[in-house]
Amino acid sequence: MRVLLIEDDDVLGAAVRDQIASDGHSVDWVRRLDAADHAIAGVPYDLVLLDLMLPDGRGTPFLRRLRARGAATPVIILTALDQVSDRIEGLNAGADDYLVKPFDLAELSARIGSVARRYSGNPNPIVIHGPLQIDLAARSIRRDGRLVPLTAREWALFEAFLSRPGQLLSKAQLEEKLYAFDAEVESNAIEVHVSRLRKKLGAEIIVTERGLGYRLGQA
Amino acid sequence: MRMPASLQRRLGLSLGVLLTGLWIGAASVTAVLARNAIEEVFDSALQETAQRILPLAVADVLGREEEGVTQRLAEIREHNELLTYAVRDAQGRILLLSHDANPVVFPHWSGIGFSQSTTHRFYSEETLQGSIRLTVAEPLAHRMVVAREIQMGLVLPLLIFLPIALLAIVLTVRTTLAPLRRFRERLAARGVRDLSLVPADELPAEVAPVADTLNGLLGRLGAAFEAERSFAANAAHELRTPLAGAIAQAQRLQAETGEPATKARASDIEATLKRLTRLSERLMQLARAEGGRLRLEHVSDLRPVARILTDELSRTAGADRISLSLPTDPLMSDLDPDVFSILYRNLVENALRHGADGTPIHVSLASDGVLTVANDGPVVPNETLARLADRFERAGKLRDGSGLGLAIVHAIAQRIGSALVLKSPRPGQDSGVEACLTLPTTMSDNNLLIDLGSRFGNSPS
Repeated sequence: MRVLLIEDDDVLGAAVRDQIASDGHSVDWVRRLDAADHAIAGVPYDLVLLDLMLPDGRGTPFLRRLRARGAATPVIILTALDQVSDRIEGLNAGADDYLVKPFDLAELSARIGSVARRYSGNPNPIVIHGPLQIDLAARSIRRDGRLVPLTAREWALFEAFLSRPGQLLSKAQLEEKLYAFDAEVESNAIEVHVSRLRKKLGAEIIVTERGLGYRLGQA
Repeated sequence: MRMPASLQRRLGLSLGVLLTGLWIGAASVTAVLARNAIEEVFDSALQETAQRILPLAVADVLGREEEGVTQRLAEIREHNELLTYAVRDAQGRILLLSHDANPVVFPHWSGIGFSQSTTHRFYSEETLQGSIRLTVAEPLAHRMVVAREIQMGLVLPLLIFLPIALLAIVLTVRTTLAPLRRFRERLAARGVRDLSLVPADELPAEVAPVADTLNGLLGRLGAAFEAERSFAANAAHELRTPLAGAIAQAQRLQAETGEPATKARASDIEATLKRLTRLSERLMQLARAEGGRLRLEHVSDLRPVARILTDELSRTAGADRISLSLPTDPLMSDLDPDVFSILYRNLVENALRHGADGTPIHVSLASDGVLTVANDGPVVPNETLARLADRFERAGKLRDGSGLGLAIVHAIAQRIGSALVLKSPRPGQDSGVEACLTLPTTMSDNNLLIDLGSRFGNSPS
């Protein structure tokens, strides 16, 4: 998934970014609302993590603007405001969930997963795909009951296919999911990860549509 | 005499007494002056009469053949004789009497001029070297009747106009002070947490500065409360963000390191930071409980707040630990939702911490505003229960609490006029602890409804 993190605190922001990246998502981290507006206009994000008190304003109006434009991106509020009225206001403005600072990073990961699953229309973390049993919450895949170890990048790529079953994804779209703005993208990275996934999960798991991109196939 | 406390009565009474006094004084002086004038007129008439009769009497007496005989004049036609007279000689022998004259009333000769007995006023005149002396008598009763008629003429209007004047004073005073009374009523009618300004445009110039000062004070008080509220929010933010950063970094360190010793240290740092977080949170809540404004000018439903909090607490405690029962109708209260969340969170966290492991916490918010939090667990002796609301007092062996939770709840309960009641064992059971607290609701708080009503009624816009 491609995640937009809006957080002005350097220490917290860095830890959150590393946590999300270690989960295999790509993260764009901005510290101000105007930068967030700019980022969201250019890239389709799968999830937004929004702090409520930012140097150039509060997060709630930003969220309202986002929803008023019709954006259906899942939003999780990260707030230091412990007052329940702020949380209610945030939820009413269109947030999907909230975390009160300080929070556990493991909980943040779990929330991101659960919100994303809810958006994909299937809140059940267990997805069955042919002989594959995929636990989205635990980020594990079993093939015929046997655990198949995946790297974070491989998992992220596979998750991108899973979240849009049957849909064609271009190489550029996949690169966007995997890498943040500033990360160097090697020209053949997608091909490398796809071939590794095929090796681990079966040759037919990802189908190449020549010149167009890839889509999820049968395992 | 002590003046009454009411300005209206004070003005009415003093003006009334003053006016009555002045009027009675003026009437008395007029009566005295009128009386003197009447005396003068009557005396002049008396003197004039005597001087007119005297020559006639002289002619009459001198024309007599016999000397020293008393002659009484005959009545020409029947009438009531107001003035009587007697003519005497130097020896005091009565020579002539008017027909109604009673010789007894006439005093001994005392010379020319006015004299007076207890019943009559006299004027005496003499001629022919004192050989003929005339005394005219007028009964005093006659004069007194006239004087009384004049006095009555002065008193009667007084009896009619004085009450009217007093009534006019009362009405005028009341009308003049009406804006003041309305101002007072508006102040009295508002609820205890209404800090909006009181309209004071119609007040008299003498009192307007008082109202301005009061409004200034209300404004400063409101600003102070607001500042306190935003301070609590800002301070929470300022403290929480760096703590969150440090905790997150400690967790990343644990995730990234392969060294068990480093992992253990990072874990210690994390635990300490979390304890620090809880403590700072509690201290902030305590400050809020003791200083800030607990009730708002508007009401809101407490049920969604309870749901959010239960949801939040269930995440850490486990989905089945907390069972919440809420009324079906909205539970409207002017209690600040954030203050409610402090109460709720502290009571439930307390129950989670001290309740028997794995047993559910029963939370109920009744439609009459009674919040009950009950947990299973060993019975707590009464003396321990009584001490629990003290600061930094922890129950039993558990040392991970801040020891402030119940003290905060207790402080808030006191300030909203309720009481935190702790019972152990739970009513109807033989184990566990129940904490109970009554929250202000619109149903139990008529004052608020009146307050809203008067606000709508008096609203200038």
